[in-house]
Amino acid sequence: MTPARHKRLPAGLAVVALLASLPILNLALAAATPGAAGTSALGAHMLMSALADTGLLMLLVGAGTIVIGLFSAWLVSYFEFPGRRLFNWFLVLPLAVPTYLSAYAWVEFADYTGPLQTLVRALTGATTIRDYWFPEIRTTPGAAFVMMLVLYPYVYLSCRAFFQMQSGAMTAAARTLGASRGEAFRRVVLPLSRPAIVVGATLVLLEVVNDLGAVQYFGVNSLTAVIYATWLNRSNFAGAAQLSLTIVLIIALLIWLERRARAGRAYLGHRDSKTPPPRERLTPGTAMLATLFCLLVTGLGFGVPFGQLLALSGRGLMAGTLDRSWWPAFGATAMLGLLGAGLCVGLGYFTAWQAGAGAGPVRKGLVRLATMGYAVPGTVLALGLIGPLGFADGLINTGTRTLFGFGPGLVLSGSFIALVYAYSIRFLALGHNTIEAARERRGSHVLDAARVLGTHGLRLILKVDLPTLTPALLSAATLVLVECVKELPATLLLRPLGVETLASIVYQQATAGLFDSAALPALAIIAVGVIPVIMTSRLSSRAIERAREGDMT
Amino acid sequence: MKPTHHLVRLIGAALAILTLAAAASAQEQVVNVYSYRESGLIQKLIDTFEEKTGIKVVMLFSDTGLMERVAAEAENSPADLILTVDIGTLDTAKRLGIYQPLDNASVKARVPAQYRDVDDAWTGLSMRARVFYASNDRVTETAMSYDDIAKPEWKGRLCTRSGQHVYNIALIADYITHHGLDAARTWLTAVRDNLNGRPTGDDRAQIKAIYSGACDLGIGNTYYMGLMQTAIDDPQQQEWAKSARIVFPTDGDYGTHVNVSGAVLAKYAPHRDNAEKLIDFLVSDEGQALYALGNYEYPVVPGIAPSPVVSAWGEFTRDPTPLSDIVANRAAASALVDELRFDDGPQN
Repeated sequence: MTPARHKRLPAGLAVVALLASLPILNLALAAATPGAAGTSALGAHMLMSALADTGLLMLLVGAGTIVIGLFSAWLVSYFEFPGRRLFNWFLVLPLAVPTYLSAYAWVEFADYTGPLQTLVRALTGATTIRDYWFPEIRTTPGAAFVMMLVLYPYVYLSCRAFFQMQSGAMTAAARTLGASRGEAFRRVVLPLSRPAIVVGATLVLLEVVNDLGAVQYFGVNSLTAVIYATWLNRSNFAGAAQLSLTIVLIIALLIWLERRARAGRAYLGHRDSKTPPPRERLTPGTAMLATLFCLLVTGLGFGVPFGQLLALSGRGLMAGTLDRSWWPAFGATAMLGLLGAGLCVGLGYFTAWQAGAGAGPVRKGLVRLATMGYAVPGTVLALGLIGPLGFADGLINTGTRTLFGFGPGLVLSGSFIALVYAYSIRFLALGHNTIEAARERRGSHVLDAARVLGTHGLRLILKVDLPTLTPALLSAATLVLVECVKELPATLLLRPLGVETLASIVYQQATAGLFDSAALPALAIIAVGVIPVIMTSRLSSRAIERAREGDMT
Repeated sequence: MKPTHHLVRLIGAALAILTLAAAASAQEQVVNVYSYRESGLIQKLIDTFEEKTGIKVVMLFSDTGLMERVAAEAENSPADLILTVDIGTLDTAKRLGIYQPLDNASVKARVPAQYRDVDDAWTGLSMRARVFYASNDRVTETAMSYDDIAKPEWKGRLCTRSGQHVYNIALIADYITHHGLDAARTWLTAVRDNLNGRPTGDDRAQIKAIYSGACDLGIGNTYYMGLMQTAIDDPQQQEWAKSARIVFPTDGDYGTHVNVSGAVLAKYAPHRDNAEKLIDFLVSDEGQALYALGNYEYPVVPGIAPSPVVSAWGEFTRDPTPLSDIVANRAAASALVDELRFDDGPQN
C-alpha cells in the first residue's frame, strides 16, 4: 500500500458510499420537511414505551445470545464429547430459520392450544387458562427467548472462528499452572474472546432493532410500530422519517461501540502459535452434560420451528391443500440470494481493502457510510428507496424518449435491480465486517512479504490476498445469502410485478391464515439456508486445517 | 482497454437479464394489479375473470407501501388497478393523487354512494363489520353497544389487537365521527382499562383467547369467524370458533361499524380498458357472490346474499355514515390511541 494511493480521492469508494446512503439521505430530507400533520412525531407518547421495550429486548437477547453462543463455541472448540463433530455445525442451523417463522412456530408451540400447555392440562386436569399458571409467550421476555434461540449463532460463529484461529497454548498454560476448567474459561478464554463476542453480539442487536415481524407478533411495542402508526395512520411521512432516523442513530451508536471495543484488539492480531487447540476429553458425566446442552440449544432453536413446519406441511399433504405453485419462487429466491451474496462479498472485499492499514479519516468515514445500511430496517430502507429509484427511472425514460422515441419502463424500480440494490445496502456490512475482521486477524505481513517479493496490483489480490481470505469470503457469502433469502419487508415492497419469492409467499399465506400452504415454502427457505451453512462450515474448517498445515511446513 | 469492454458487455448482459421480468408482460392482454389483499383470498375471483375474458391478471402483493410505490413510479407505473382492505389506504391513494376518477357506469349503478368516494377516487368492493366475539360460556348478553364495553363490569375481560391496527383505527374514527373527540377519549380510556392485558395478535387470536379462557369479549372483523368456522385444513380452528359467537353492536342512533375492501383505478393505468373490465366483473352479481362465498364478507352491492355461514350470524343495522366522513377522523383516532398508550394495556 503505497502512500500515493491514499492521496488520490477514493472515487470508487465515494460512489459506493453515496449509493449506499441514498435511502438515509432521502429520509433525512423528508424528516427535515415539516409533516402534513404539522407536529413532530418525536413527541409520540408511545415512543418511550417502544424505547423501553426495545431496550429490554436488546438487553435480554444480547445477554442470552452471548451466554449460549460463547459457551457452545467454547465446548466444541476445547472439549471432546459425544456428538461434538456434528454439533460443530448443527449449532449454526438456527441461523437458517427466519425470526418471523420461529416466532410463529414458537407461539403455536407454547400457546394454550400447543402441545406444551395441552400436556399441562392433561396432567393437571385444568380446563381453562385461568386454572393454572404458564409463562405467556406473547410478551417481551417471550420474544427475547425466541429471538435469542435464533440469533445466538452469530455469537457462536464469531467465537468459534476466533477459537479455531487461536492456539490452545494460553489455556494449556493456565491449566498447567493449576487453574480449573472454569477458571481457565473465566480468566483466559473470556477476556481473550471479548472482541469476538462483541462482533457477534453487535450483529445480534442490529437484528433485534431491525426486526419487525417477530416483535409485533409477540405484542412488543416496537419503534417500527410507532413509525407505522405515524406514517400510515396519521399520514405523516416526515414524522416517520424522523423516527426512522432515530433507529439509525441508535444503531450507529452500537456500531461505534463495537468499533471502540475492537480497537483494543491489536494484541490479537496474529496467531500466537501454530498448535491447534488441544481438545480435552471430558469425564462421561460432564461429557453427557455438554452433549445435552448442545442438543437442547439446537433442539429449541432449530428443532421446534422445523418440526412444527414439518408437521404442518405433513398435514397439508394429507389434506391435499398444498399449493405447488411456488416453484418459480424458488428460482427467483435463489437468483436474488446469489446476486445479493456476490455483490455484497465483492463490495465488502473492496471496502475492507479500502479500510485497510493506512487508510485516512476520509476513507474510513466513507467506508462507515457505505456500511451504514445494516442499520436501516428493511421497511424503512424500502421506503427510502422507492422515491429515488422511481425518480431515476423517470429520468431514464425521459432520456430514451427524447433520444429514441420509446421508454423502456421501470428498468430499476420494476426489476430485480431494485431488490439486489436494497440487499446490497442492507447486507454490505455483513460482507465487509466478516472480511475486515479476517484481514485484521491475518495481519498485513503476508501482503508486505509479497510486495517485497515484487507482487503488486491485481496479481497481489488474486494470488495472495484472496486465497488467504477464502474462509472469510465463503462465510461472508453464506451469511449474506441466508439473510437475502430470509429478508421480508424490502422484498415484499420492492419485488417486481408478478414475481414471488419464497419469503413473500410464506408471508402472504400466513397472513391469510393459510398456514398449511405456508409451511412447505417456509421449509424451503430453511433448506436454502441450511445447505450453504453446512457447506461453508465444512469448507471453512477444511481451509483452516489447510492454513494450519501450511503454517507448520 | 480491452478488459473495460468486457466489463461493459458483462454489465449489459446482466442488465438485460435483470430487466427481462419488467419487459416480458408488455405484449399480451393483461391487467396489472397491485394488491394489499393476499392473492390467495381473491384467487377464485381472478381465476374466474381470466377464464371469462382471456385477460391475464398479473399481481403484486404487499401489505404496506404500494400506494407510495405507485406514486414514486409516476407516469411509468405499470399498475392498472390497486386493491386494498381498508378505507385508510383508499384515502392515501386519493391524497397522493395517484388515481383517475372511476367514471364507471356499473360501479355508479350498483355500489351505494356511502361506500364510494365523493370524488370517485375509489369504490368499495366488499364489506365487513367490526363486531364483538362473545364467549358462549361466560357472556350472556345478546345485544350490546360499543359504549357497553366501557362499563366496569368488563374489567379484565376484554381483548383486541393493536389499537393502531387500521381496523381499530377506523372503528375509533367512526366513534369520533358520532360522539366527538372528548367523548371518544373518555370511552377509549375506559375500554383500555377493561383490557385483559396488552393488545396482541390478530383478530383470529382474540377468538383463540376466548377459547383458552383468557378473554370473554373480543373485538374483531366478521369474516375471521367465518374463516375459522369453516377451516377445513385446520379442524382445531373450528373447535376454537365454537367457543364464541358474534354479537352485532347496536347503538341507538347508528348501527354496526363497517369497513370495506376497495379498488382504485391508477392514474397512468397502461391497460385502462382491461382494468375497467376487471372492476365491472368485481361488482357484477358473479363477482360479488364470489367475494361473499370465498372470504365470508358482505357484498357491497345490495340484493346479493352473503354466504349461508355469514347469514347464520343474523341481521344487523349498518352504520349509514359515509366512509369518507370516517376517513377524515383517522389521524385523530391514531393520535388518541397514541396519547392514551392504548397498546400498553390497562393503566387503571
